[in-house]
Amino acid sequence: MKLHPLSIPYRAASRGLSLGLMLFFLGQSLSGSDVLPFPLAGPVLVVLAALGVVGAAAWQVAYYRRFEYRLTGDGLEIASGVVSRRNREIPLGRIQNVDISRNVIQRALGVAVIDIETAGGGATEASLRYVGYDEAKRVQRQIQRLKRGEEAAEDETEPGERASPEERETVLFELQTDELALLSVLSFDFRYLSLLAFGPAALPFVPGVAELAFVGGLVLVALLVAALWALSAATTFARYYGFRLTRLGDELRYERGLLQRYDGSIPLGKVQALTLDANVLMRRFDYTTLAVETAGYGPGQTPSGGSEAAVPLATRERVLRLAREVEEFEVPEFSRPPKRARTRYAARYALVLAGLAGVLYALEVAVTPPAPIPVPLAAIPLAFLVVVPVAAHLKWRNRGYAVGEDHTLTRNGFWSQTTKVVPYYRVQTVIQSQTVFQRRRQLASVVIDTASSAGGAAAAVDVDAETAAELRETVGEKLQASLAARRGETDRESDLDSSRRD
Amino acid sequence: MEVLNPRVRLAWGVGAVVTAVVVGVLAAVVSRFTLGPGVTVGLAVALGALALGLAFVVLRYRSWRFEVREDDLYLERGVLTRINTVVPFVRVQHVDTQRGPVERALGLSSVVVYTAGSRGADVSIPGLTPERADDLQEQLRRLAIESERETDAV
Repeated sequence: MKLHPLSIPYRAASRGLSLGLMLFFLGQSLSGSDVLPFPLAGPVLVVLAALGVVGAAAWQVAYYRRFEYRLTGDGLEIASGVVSRRNREIPLGRIQNVDISRNVIQRALGVAVIDIETAGGGATEASLRYVGYDEAKRVQRQIQRLKRGEEAAEDETEPGERASPEERETVLFELQTDELALLSVLSFDFRYLSLLAFGPAALPFVPGVAELAFVGGLVLVALLVAALWALSAATTFARYYGFRLTRLGDELRYERGLLQRYDGSIPLGKVQALTLDANVLMRRFDYTTLAVETAGYGPGQTPSGGSEAAVPLATRERVLRLAREVEEFEVPEFSRPPKRARTRYAARYALVLAGLAGVLYALEVAVTPPAPIPVPLAAIPLAFLVVVPVAAHLKWRNRGYAVGEDHTLTRNGFWSQTTKVVPYYRVQTVIQSQTVFQRRRQLASVVIDTASSAGGAAAAVDVDAETAAELRETVGEKLQASLAARRGETDRESDLDSSRRD
Repeated sequence: MEVLNPRVRLAWGVGAVVTAVVVGVLAAVVSRFTLGPGVTVGLAVALGALALGLAFVVLRYRSWRFEVREDDLYLERGVLTRINTVVPFVRVQHVDTQRGPVERALGLSSVVVYTAGSRGADVSIPGLTPERADDLQEQLRRLAIESERETDAV
């Protein structure tokens, strides 16, 4: 198969524009100097830029002519390259996610990008730029069908006509407009607040009228916070507009996006872990988000927002019901870290505040201020000592872990509480660690690592040292047990298959 | 539980000496431009760093042990932070042996075990004799293949 013919002008335009601009500016900066033997006047510049555009277009035609892809029973074969040729085959079984994305212009042209993710490496394995939207959907469907081992029936008939029962899409979740609005408002990322650090630089300083400057500063900070909030809400709105999650056989499909439309698939068989996230505001209204993690994306790199593609926001109850469609897990009783962990947090916060006070005191002594300050600076962090017990308690309260029949659950974080659900058969390694400070209090942490490439691993932090050692062994044993159980299943299946064949 | 070959202390010790020299030279340069006496300060700092580094090497050696268990590889290590890792054989992607120049001079070798995990994706066991490293690599490779069968590694 070839790419969509429109990909030539589209690629030529986008590449040619940047190349033309670069040449233009290069010419501009060289025009004054005597580096070149001929004078770089207006018409020459235009010719240069035009040459760049034509060159880019010619390259794109060659790229189009030499690009070929094919879906076979074994996988996706791609032959590409103008100067150096490259032939690649991606085995079907290794394909994790198939994502389709279209921005506004691509939507108008009716073309789309297909990104194929595998577990290896840090980058997208293969990217088809650009194919027709229908063709993209066909590839996505076909990959799933081939994976199930069906005959590579070419899609001559309409999908609706010949859809087998398991091929009919069932809608699992649709984001209503009011939910989307709520999500946009609630999902304020507290990290945006760090941008406020740049605030003071932007503050207009009125010398002499210190009070006025202070009030003005406060107003400005409030305005900035509101603006950041609006920005975050708008981003979230555009990102999750028209969100829809469906199930098609053994794959989850999602669609979302206002300006850039995404359309991806998450194979259920490749799910590594489930993450439920809820910040303080969401918890207040009993809402939560769900992310389905696969090994498809490289760390820190999410071509389409990665595994954000699950449920952006719904009531906790509904999310749990949905999550159980993906993984059948129970929510067992969570055990909290022992109380001495809480003392540890309190001590830690108090030490940080004391350190801050010390630094401020030293600063005050070293630099004599022009005008006397009413309160000693060092007193400010010390005043926060009052909230230390509360903060320590909240941190402690939101931590925990639970060992279920087939899954381990861990929970961490107050501002944004993250609950991870890890099936035992997905565990890669188990790491128990104990810092010097933890050793003093007989505490330890256990990290349960999977091949998931989104977010951090599940961690039971600050549990009793002996319990941690037990947990480490339990998880290892449960992994072996669940593997044995799965093996039994596949053996039975293959027995059935062979008896059917006989 | 198996301990490392005692010679690994020499290999780590070489590293400690190199670090001490670098730190000492840096300290000498800095103090030369700020306080004046460069060489004495540098020497003192280097000696201090060396003492710390050597103490660390001894403790690190004492804390290191590993065991090939029935279904997994189990490691214990760490001086300030104690780390115990369980690597199930099913999850082993491949096993390497590695020999750096210092290790080669001392007749040592390391085994590196790779998994598909996102953290601790590679676990290395240093301070093995080349024969033990080859044995361990072979053993882990065999166990990984035996336990794999039809399960999905990722």
